Amino acid sequence: MNAMDRLRTSRPASVPIEADREALFDRIVAMPPSGAAARPARRRRKLVLVAAVGLAVTLTAGTAVAVSTNLFGWHTDNTFIKDPRVWGKLYRDATHELRLPPGMVWPHRTLAPHTITNRSEPGGMAVAISQTAWECYWTEALRANDAQAAGQARAALTDLVRHHVVVAPAGSPENVAPPAGTRPPFMIYASDGGLGYVKHSYALAAAGDPSGVAQSCRANRGDLQIPPVR
Amino acid sequence: MNERPTPPEGPEARFRRVFAHLQPVADYAARRGSSDPEAIAAETMAIAWRRLDRVPVDDPRPWLFVTARNLLMAERRKSSRRSQADRALARPDAVPAVESADPAVTRALRALPERDREALLLVAWEDLTPARAAEALGIAPVAFRVRLLRARRRFARSLAADGLPNTPDVLEVKST
Repeated sequence: MNAMDRLRTSRPASVPIEADREALFDRIVAMPPSGAAARPARRRRKLVLVAAVGLAVTLTAGTAVAVSTNLFGWHTDNTFIKDPRVWGKLYRDATHELRLPPGMVWPHRTLAPHTITNRSEPGGMAVAISQTAWECYWTEALRANDAQAAGQARAALTDLVRHHVVVAPAGSPENVAPPAGTRPPFMIYASDGGLGYVKHSYALAAAGDPSGVAQSCRANRGDLQIPPVR
Repeated sequence: MNERPTPPEGPEARFRRVFAHLQPVADYAARRGSSDPEAIAAETMAIAWRRLDRVPVDDPRPWLFVTARNLLMAERRKSSRRSQADRALARPDAVPAVESADPAVTRALRALPERDREALLLVAWEDLTPARAAEALGIAPVAFRVRLLRARRRFARSLAADGLPNTPDVLEVKST
């Protein structure tokens, strides 16, 4: 057997999808599509927006560089941190601004040696931990038919998304940072519709369907110790 | 005989054809070490629905695999906040882990540069033709063939070094 044949025969077996495909299909197509019918109006709006932005930029920008690095206050963050103590303080500060499900304690996190990151990353991690914890808690609450706990999770995640999640402009680089007045901690989402998907999964959970939050919980909980719903 | 013109396909019917590839997308994610391949597949399909006008319907797999791969890297970045080893994998060009059913093949795959490994796997595991695999990697078909040839040679050498005797250096691959 040659190497390519051996590679082909070593392909891991397909694991059949457990989810109800038709239900998933229905949930997806219930979301706003990028349908052709809606496109002309959207394209016109987009053109108007682009023209307006272009005009504003032309009138207000001093230089082309200033425009490219500071769009509506969003800018690239080149102020890296490499000291674990600084990282730890930023993480602890963030935990004081966020909530976890009842009985859960903040996990220990640190900046690994020989690593650099930017100043918003510790807070972003704390937001991600809080988000995952509440998603798992919501999943459990729905499965346990605990309406009070489910409501608590829903309120916590609504607050989290409203106050601690920001969406970067399309095409932003990895080290993009929001306008200076943005209060930490915050997590930055790319402008790829991901936040829309998150909100959709929360809407499903609010309607009693835990599939979206359960998937996110499974994918992201890692070593988080989330206490059972009480 | 006059043929009746085919009515334009609605978005749902069009998406139904894309959605038929849900299982291959989940398999793609699972083979690259996703902690939740079903979630990756579902999210890939949700993105495909939102961007349906950009998804080639004749064979959407290259587009779907690219999207799934981006989601995999996002998943990896998120979980990588937990350990230094994973932190190294959180580089934008990092590739998720790969597991095969054959330990020697897994070792040989892991020894390859990521670009070579992905070229091989798109053809050998995901059953893409070289032309479609080139689309998935965003490179020209000619460039892909060169990359694939190099990858096959490196893979064969790596396997041979791991104890597989008489591995030919030039390997047969399905053509377009």
